[in-house]
Amino acid sequence: MNVNALIPTVDWRALAPFTIVVCTGIVALIIEMLRPRRNNNLVVGVSLFGLLVAGWSLFGMLGGPSDESFAGMILNDRFGQILQLVMVGSCAVCFLFSEPYLREKRIPFAEFYPLALWSTAGGMLMVSSKHLLMVFLGLELLSISLYCLAGMSRYESKSEESALKYFLLGSFASAFLLMGIAFIYGETASLHLGRISEVLGAASASPLSTIGAAMVLVGLGFKLALVPFHQWTPDVYQGAPTNVTAFMAAVSKVAALGALVRFLWAIGTLDTVWFPLMWWVAVATMTVGNLAALVQNDVKRTLGYSSIAHAGYLLVGVLAAFSAPGRVSLDATAFYLISYAAMTIGAFAVISLTASGQHEGTRFYDVRGLWKRAPWAAGCLVVFLCSLIGIPITSGFFGKLLIFQAAFDAGLPALAVLLAVNSAISTYYYLGIIQAAFVTEEGAVAPRFGKPSASLNLACAVCLAGVLGAGLFAGPLIRGMGTAEVGPPVGVPVQDPLTIHTKNTSD
Amino acid sequence: MDVGHWLEGLGQSNPVALAAIRVVLLVLPILVLVPGLIWLERRLLSWMQDRIGPNRTGTVTFPSNFPLKFLAGKKVRTFGLLQPIADGVKLFLKEDVTPSAIDKLVYFLAPFLALFPAFALGATLPWASTGFMPFTSIPGPYSLLTPVANVEIGILYVLAISSLGAYGLVLAGYASNNKYSLMGGIRASAQLISYELGMGVSLACVALATGSLKMPDMVMQQEAALWGVAEHIQNWFVFTPWGLVSAIVFLICLVAETNRAPFDLPEAENELIAGYHTEYSSMKFAVFFMGEYAAMFLLSGVFAAVFLGGYNLVPVRWEHLADTYPAMAGFYGAMAKLNYWLGPLWFLGKCAGGVAFFIWLRATLPRLRYDQLMSLGWKTLLPLAVANFIVVALYIVFTSLYGPAGGWGAWGGATLVLVLLYLNIAAATRKGPLASPPRRIALVDGTEAPASLREREQVKT
Amino acid sequence: MLGRGIFQAVFGEFLPILLLMLVAAVVAGAMVTLSWVLGPKKDTPYKSSTYECGVTPVGNAIERFPIKFYLVAILFVLFDIEVVFLWSWITVFKGATIQYQVFSGVAVGIYLVLWIIGDAYVIKVGALEWDEEPQVAPEKLLPTPVEAPTIAAGSHS
Repeated sequence: MNVNALIPTVDWRALAPFTIVVCTGIVALIIEMLRPRRNNNLVVGVSLFGLLVAGWSLFGMLGGPSDESFAGMILNDRFGQILQLVMVGSCAVCFLFSEPYLREKRIPFAEFYPLALWSTAGGMLMVSSKHLLMVFLGLELLSISLYCLAGMSRYESKSEESALKYFLLGSFASAFLLMGIAFIYGETASLHLGRISEVLGAASASPLSTIGAAMVLVGLGFKLALVPFHQWTPDVYQGAPTNVTAFMAAVSKVAALGALVRFLWAIGTLDTVWFPLMWWVAVATMTVGNLAALVQNDVKRTLGYSSIAHAGYLLVGVLAAFSAPGRVSLDATAFYLISYAAMTIGAFAVISLTASGQHEGTRFYDVRGLWKRAPWAAGCLVVFLCSLIGIPITSGFFGKLLIFQAAFDAGLPALAVLLAVNSAISTYYYLGIIQAAFVTEEGAVAPRFGKPSASLNLACAVCLAGVLGAGLFAGPLIRGMGTAEVGPPVGVPVQDPLTIHTKNTSD
Repeated sequence: MDVGHWLEGLGQSNPVALAAIRVVLLVLPILVLVPGLIWLERRLLSWMQDRIGPNRTGTVTFPSNFPLKFLAGKKVRTFGLLQPIADGVKLFLKEDVTPSAIDKLVYFLAPFLALFPAFALGATLPWASTGFMPFTSIPGPYSLLTPVANVEIGILYVLAISSLGAYGLVLAGYASNNKYSLMGGIRASAQLISYELGMGVSLACVALATGSLKMPDMVMQQEAALWGVAEHIQNWFVFTPWGLVSAIVFLICLVAETNRAPFDLPEAENELIAGYHTEYSSMKFAVFFMGEYAAMFLLSGVFAAVFLGGYNLVPVRWEHLADTYPAMAGFYGAMAKLNYWLGPLWFLGKCAGGVAFFIWLRATLPRLRYDQLMSLGWKTLLPLAVANFIVVALYIVFTSLYGPAGGWGAWGGATLVLVLLYLNIAAATRKGPLASPPRRIALVDGTEAPASLREREQVKT
Repeated sequence: MLGRGIFQAVFGEFLPILLLMLVAAVVAGAMVTLSWVLGPKKDTPYKSSTYECGVTPVGNAIERFPIKFYLVAILFVLFDIEVVFLWSWITVFKGATIQYQVFSGVAVGIYLVLWIIGDAYVIKVGALEWDEEPQVAPEKLLPTPVEAPTIAAGSHS
């Protein structure tokens, strides 16, 4: 029999970053298996090195043309590469401060590193494919690793609770996503987003494709913590070990946003259906996230709600890009994602200092006196929180400004105004955290803190550099982003997405 | 002697009827033989344990005034062959005690699910030659009668159906509402799935080497020359190095899959009363055993077909001998025909031999502990089977690259590497000494404590 | 005759298997129900209570059992799925061209290496140890790696 034709050509270049991250995870696991006695330094070293190599290979690809390989399974474009870079960087920074934290909390779970690497690889797969099957595969790889990681702290019931909640709701959302994919397949007979867009563009909206699209949006919205599907976020963020929370907040959000953008592009012709819906979702996400954060008394929980609010801001950027294609690009969103990853990981890194000898309290009164114990970290925290608020010269400010501007340019002034109002509201609770960290009452017993280690300080420095650097060099960065076309892959004759969105259905 | 033509005609005009004949030819022997197997087990066990066993039932003593003179006053012994029949009748007529606290539907479903796969197992199993009749190129009548369905999935069907048996046991344990039953059912499921893996991979080795999943193909490939070299001897897979490893793994997994001693932990009577069938009585109780014996019998048949040359009596290529030595062609030809036409008998003999082997194991080996069971399955058989799988793949690749010598070289090299790897992994995963150092007794000033005190402490710890 | 034709068309060569399953189901069903029909029925409360070695049953039967069984089930699912992926390759491997054999052989080799790593990991972390707690490295629990203090080592003398 002639099965010669089955031998595929392997496009290693497109696959390199993903493969490197996965293989690093495997090597890390083997090391963990062989010499787990003393410390995890070798595991951390190998993981960081692997991430460095992956990042380097991604950087090398940035200038190249966008193309598809593996029969449309892997997409190699600039938007995906930038998001992958963000994820790789986030993962590396998380690793920097994880080791002292794990030691302090007595979590002898060096599997954190391989699992986080695989999770990152899942996220990278999600954003670097236009094939729904691959997106789903990446999502599962991302999620299943995160379920394990959330429950990593075995003696804490809140960690177990968070893992179980995340798992149950996450698998529910996965089911939605898969069901939606099945519906869309039923309508278009394809799983490739390019083809789907083509088919949907040719016909008018049918119930099948509408329901399918809605279900996929539910599944992705869950991952992104958009408002009707956000309930898991505070609990999971609070219960999971802090380094996992940081990882989750950055990587999972970036990956889900990337997938969401690609999917929205594919169903662009249905925008009479989904645009108003997503408009309201963005409004609700921003508002609910911020209002609920006001009444929290736990730092991680507050940051959890804040991440919901930030998902709303990001969605505004995405909607702006989709409602005025050609005039408004996704650059603002990508820029905001970078700065969001830096500031949120930095904030969680500093909060991880509250772990001390197996105990970790993250309530506001648990971070009292952080300033005295760890001035560098506390100082960084101020910058990160300022960036989350959106105070000038930090990247958060420029990110919000760009999205604000994009929303105005795209003719969505209501969203822009709501964004500004919400940013103002958010000042209150971010300042609350700062106050808790800096103000000590007379006679109050200061909580114990872990000693800030060099690697944690380094992680803070990296995030600080990210936040301030992205702020100071916002102009060049934006110009270099070039994510304007999330357009059709080479070789697939699809209508130009820039001409698909001719309608402007909002407000 | 036109059975073949008649069958062929039947197959064309009425395939369902032909299928029915095949099914009957498979199911009827099982139904008849299962009581026989029970008798065999009891007799063989008692023989091995130096006791008498059931030898009375069916013995008839004719009265002295019996009309047939040569029987009058004589005893006719049947060696207890009727004992299982009597048992069966008794079991059918016993009260079917159904505990009140059970899960009714599942309780009745469980024995059904335990017996059903045992009967359905043999659908792809050839019990006679499906090839040409000796010295001809005409397919013989057996090729129409067996297997029940020569489908492409072949051996996968056996794996799929045999793993269904786990449902019967675990549901029986669950439905009985009895602690011991539940424990037995859970043990059964864990054991079955653990050994399912080794079984699957060891069969995968054979499928890889034959390039087919059909069991008739596997048997036919065993009729080739041994190692491609010894022209007169059949290449039974058990004679090849990789086949031997597969056969050993498969055989052990077989014993575990059928819950036979030494793997009968699900019904370990000194721990669990009777395990999953504690709450079953009358024929429902016996159904579990019927399932066990039928599965044992048929899986022995699978073992015979896959590793032991199937329906061939001895691993000799009679036809080839007859061609090579014309002087002896008559004898060899007769042997070839005997081998072909009495194939079902040889196959039956191999099955019975397999069952006898099971019984021998039961009489010889003590029951394993649960941790031994798990570590045997997961740490020994599974890695062994996978290593064997890799070796077979390498053997095939190197044979097509560099011919037989390359194949054997690859075989030796791969085996060496894998053995070393396994030893290394075993060394790396072996549990070290206890994490905390042994207690040291010292006096206050740091001098070592007297020996008597130390010894006493050591005894305590 | 029409019905048979349809059966033949739908099930093809699997028709005899269907027939065999039917027969097996009938035989098994008969075995299970016959004794229910034939045997006497004299139910008493004692007879129909759960058998627990003759004493009154204690507690509920559906109780918690060791998590290890669950772990074994999960491991089975993982490893068995990995083996299942191999089957389709097994059937084409031997008859394929040499290029395909080498290419797919390397691919499957990588796959099996991952498999072996997984198995070694499972064994290493003690997921299959039945009598003991899974081993964690206790030294890692210490905030900084320090030597365990030993009182009065032999070096003193």
